[in-house]
Amino acid sequence: MQLGVDILLDGVMRTLREAVLPAVQGRLARAQLFAVLDVLQNLRDRVESKAALDDAEAESAVHALTQVIAAIGPITGAALAEGLEAAPEAPPAARAAALRALLVRAFDVVDALPDAAAAPARAALATHLAGQAMRDVAVLKPSLLQEISKG
Amino acid sequence: MGDQDFIARLESYLAGRLPAERPLRVIDLDRSTEGFSQETFTFDVETATGTRRGFVLKREPLAGLLEPYDLEPEFRVLHALSDDPLPSPPTPWFERDPTVLERSFYVMARLPGDVPVPAPRADGSPPVDDGDRPGLGADVVAALAHLHGIDWRSLGLDFLGVPAAGRDTATRELARWERRIDASGLAVDPPLAEALCWLRRNLPETDETTLVHGDFRLGNFLVVRDGGAARLSGLLDWEMVHLGDPLEDVAWCISPLWRGGTPYAGALLPPEEFVEAWESASGRTADPRRLEFYGVLTIVKMIAIMLTGLRAFRDGRTTDLRMAIFDQQLPFLNLMLGMTRGWLG
Repeated sequence: MQLGVDILLDGVMRTLREAVLPAVQGRLARAQLFAVLDVLQNLRDRVESKAALDDAEAESAVHALTQVIAAIGPITGAALAEGLEAAPEAPPAARAAALRALLVRAFDVVDALPDAAAAPARAALATHLAGQAMRDVAVLKPSLLQEISKG
Repeated sequence: MGDQDFIARLESYLAGRLPAERPLRVIDLDRSTEGFSQETFTFDVETATGTRRGFVLKREPLAGLLEPYDLEPEFRVLHALSDDPLPSPPTPWFERDPTVLERSFYVMARLPGDVPVPAPRADGSPPVDDGDRPGLGADVVAALAHLHGIDWRSLGLDFLGVPAAGRDTATRELARWERRIDASGLAVDPPLAEALCWLRRNLPETDETTLVHGDFRLGNFLVVRDGGAARLSGLLDWEMVHLGDPLEDVAWCISPLWRGGTPYAGALLPPEEFVEAWESASGRTADPRRLEFYGVLTIVKMIAIMLTGLRAFRDGRTTDLRMAIFDQQLPFLNLMLGMTRGWLG
């Protein structure tokens, strides 16, 4: 996810206040909308993303990166090994983000190798990507895109 | 600017463009919710004699998915195509002066028809009825083949930038979208990094340069009922028009992104059938290597567009909460990348 919970809630409140509220005429509906804003502005600093999701991603990323370093050797993989060491242990979201960035670097490192040498590393990375893609989608709800498009 | 002020300014502007139809009134002004990028307004112009004509106005947004915006290139293309049999909307006027409607805009004729949205209907049925798919699919393929056959040089469209033969076409397109990703300033996720590496390693060669719509897909097709049959009546949203490889449009149109919950390209035809029909109608060959490249680039482009929208939302430059839902869409695009690239079985 690119947006933190606080940024999302700030944006929801901004939209309600600036784009929705001016179009709401009924007194009861306006009162309810103000109540929503009141709830959201107090919720904002009391929630954070689930640590279990970040922990699962980090564990899978570490496994993949360790396999990559083993496959490409300690010299080629030196920067990745340093990155693994330097990744913060906590908070979970920061650790997951650091390891995600390291995976991106890993693709560049592996891409500079001949195909035969890169293949086992690419396979390790692919296993992580597949698992993470499924984990990311598993927590999502069905989209209301049709209704959003029609208005 | 309130609606009444907007209408008054628009009436004044149009009176200058339609002097024979003065006095005129702008009525039934409505802002469309379908588009996620440019602001789209529909309205009618009613003259003193009671005649009515429908128009669509596209205005530069404050922030959007394809920023920074310059509406002039697409206006010039649409204007140049106004007399072509291709069902693009005749587009007579472009205005850059911010004193008119605060931001640049262009006005085009409103074509008849409705736009099927690339998602299942509320009752779960596909966006295009089975009985309509073959005929509408043939119309869409024919329009795409016609578009790719347009003599863009004679229309003076080389201002769009002419790629050289070889890898230049693919290189330009990949660079264009990498720039957008960089400009978003948001983190590149590993699936996107993998795709970018693969694209850089697999730039295909071509000497075919055609007009490329850039967003040729279900959701940008206007459809009318003609004697019971569904027919294509318009091609919309030319924001990404450029000169390039025609297979970029083919790959975009058949992408899983726009199948509306069906197995069909554009919810119309089986993908292989769509490609074969395009080959037959255009007289071109769909080189599998180029098609694969643009198939991956399609999803990368969509991710780049979403990252741009997310950045605008994060920065507070838009109150359009629809930009925020992209955060929930990105994992699905990663899934599609996995299936397209083969790392997800």
